[in-house]
Amino acid sequence: MKRKSISVILCVAMVAGLAAGCGSSKDEKKDGKEILSVWIPPLDDETEKNYVPLLDKFEKENNCELDVQIIPWDTYEEKYMTAINAGEGPDVGYMYVEMFPTYIDSGAVVDMEEYLTEEDYEEYLYLDRGKMMGGTYGFPFNTGNPFIMYYNEDILESIGETAPETWEDFERICKKATKDTDGDGKIDQYGYAAGFNNGDMSPLYLLNSYYYSLLWQNGSDIYNDDLKSVRFNDEAGVEAVEYLKSLTPYMPEDYMSLAATDAFSNVFGGGHAAFACARAMQAQSESFQETYPDLHWNYVTSLKNEQYGTFGAADCLTLMSACENKELGMKLIKYMTGTEVMSEYHKEHHGAPMTKDEEYQGDEKLERTLTEDRDKWRPLQAGPCGSDILLNLVSQIQAVMSGDASAQEALDEAAEYSNDLLDEYWADKE
Amino acid sequence: MQASFLRIEVLMNKKKRNCQLSAYGYITPILLIMIVFLGVSVLMSVVLSFTKYNILTPPQFNELDNYTRMLTDKKFVKALMNTLKVMVYIVPLQTVISLLVSVVIASKRNTWLGKLANIVIFIPVLSSNAVVGTVWKAILNGHIEVVEKFFAFFGINCSMLLGDADSALLTVAMVSIWKNVGYYAVLYISALINISDHYYEAAKVDGAGRISRFFYVTLPMLKPTTILVVFLGVTTSLQCFDIIYNLTGGGPAMGTTTLVFYVYDLCFKSGRAGYAMAVSNMLFLLILITVVAQRKMMRKDASEI
Repeated sequence: MKRKSISVILCVAMVAGLAAGCGSSKDEKKDGKEILSVWIPPLDDETEKNYVPLLDKFEKENNCELDVQIIPWDTYEEKYMTAINAGEGPDVGYMYVEMFPTYIDSGAVVDMEEYLTEEDYEEYLYLDRGKMMGGTYGFPFNTGNPFIMYYNEDILESIGETAPETWEDFERICKKATKDTDGDGKIDQYGYAAGFNNGDMSPLYLLNSYYYSLLWQNGSDIYNDDLKSVRFNDEAGVEAVEYLKSLTPYMPEDYMSLAATDAFSNVFGGGHAAFACARAMQAQSESFQETYPDLHWNYVTSLKNEQYGTFGAADCLTLMSACENKELGMKLIKYMTGTEVMSEYHKEHHGAPMTKDEEYQGDEKLERTLTEDRDKWRPLQAGPCGSDILLNLVSQIQAVMSGDASAQEALDEAAEYSNDLLDEYWADKE
Repeated sequence: MQASFLRIEVLMNKKKRNCQLSAYGYITPILLIMIVFLGVSVLMSVVLSFTKYNILTPPQFNELDNYTRMLTDKKFVKALMNTLKVMVYIVPLQTVISLLVSVVIASKRNTWLGKLANIVIFIPVLSSNAVVGTVWKAILNGHIEVVEKFFAFFGINCSMLLGDADSALLTVAMVSIWKNVGYYAVLYISALINISDHYYEAAKVDGAGRISRFFYVTLPMLKPTTILVVFLGVTTSLQCFDIIYNLTGGGPAMGTTTLVFYVYDLCFKSGRAGYAMAVSNMLFLLILITVVAQRKMMRKDASEI
């Protein structure tokens, strides 16, 4: 009997546990304090230790509690979607441009325009980059690290060249730099250290690194201005991809299986290539000092064909519609990106100043990207079906690079797919 | 006398009923879990597959649109073909390798080498798919001289394996076999141990050699296990995801995108959950057919024995 009772109790406990597990766990208030939940991805190796404590003062000043969750990059979007669907999303969240359209369409994020003052526009340097799809849905938080073209000064000097300015310069130098330097009959120095395996990064990283710059420099873009169709398969778009394909003889032989990040850090970093494209980040300068101290590198922010252009992310904080106290949420966003917090954070983890009053604390060499070259880079257009269109586009570009399709065929196919999606999207809107 | 018999019968019936009730009580929690997390989710998946749904906004009924879209969706066809290719690469090879490995290990099971091999082959099974994918990517793309020389001996440039759509899919399949072969070998080993020595002795008396004994005694006796191994191989290869996610990310050029991977992308990257559910229902159907076929064959096999 005793055994039976214990069994029954255990069964009841299990069912109760199951029911409790299915319940909501969102705390609304704790000790009379308002709780604001904030979701951000890892900003560095130890965001919990380096960034989160900087927000303590906000909690004290506003008698609230912040529940800051650091969500790993690889499950970031997945966590957002499922949590918001379950009503468990954050009050303030970090989003990158490709994420926004779905959330804007579904009304999950707030147009922050009404909360912004003229002073804010004067103080915060990149507010214009948070405007998308007819509203200000993003408040730039992590920007100013455009993808720049690094070059190896020693290699360029050895072949009698200087920093490239145009596509012609770039191709010519790549050609001259690609050679067998030790006479064993194998190429061991490359023009362009590029890799088309996305490796640990999202496939979209390949577009950031190698594609947008050429597309924009040649005068094309992803969407037409009305966002109702794509234009990356126009003449300029096709020419850009053909140009990228024409550079493959100057890339490492395993460029299709080589990860873009490895191409930069190992091939270029190891002194085996004249050029590589990667983010302008102080960390890279530091890591080269540690791993390849003899590497003498420099960079051009953007090459020029029809015009300048390269990709610089504008990852933003956004105010979620589910946030009950929007004024407080907005105040937090301004605080998180403000001079006080960012000046302190950027002391150890260098990045572009977000405000007029914040001083640049990064590598002097890279400061040019934020001053005289600031107009040479820009974020992505936020448009409907963004992730879908870009993921399909990147797989088509991989097909071109591996020789499985011509640029025209691949881009036309990608455009047809994209336009079908956009037609359906706009038909639903009407 | 009759009254006391009746009383005993009533008491026994009551006890039987109590036993039955408590049995139902014991299975209630797991039944609830099954209903909530399996039954309801399958049902929801079927219902939502007839809707336009992006997870964030309420679903809108769109009849058979998602299913008709599949007929013209080149990406779906590509993912389906990749899934079937992975299955074709994995199942026969995995079955043969695990059988051969198990025969060798079972024959040496009492030696220290056999015991060690038994443990070693199971290590990849215990590793997570994420770790396996990451480690193999590092091995293949790491420009490790020993690895490069090993592959070069067979005329393969290992650093190119993940860069071509066809070889990448084959590589994914090989890594999956490496990961799972230990599990199936253990199934075979336990089945081999259960084959009575009398059969082999009788075969020896009849003059059967080692090879004949293998084909005419071992293989037929392993038929139920082989059916199990084949069908488990089919269902797991149809659901191949983690290794691909970590090894190739579905690329290059969708070359390693399987149905599960496509569903994941549709749902969480593209926000087309309704369509994703329609695609996943197709996969569910494929797996269901496999399971039904397996059960039928197992039943037939049992009746033959």
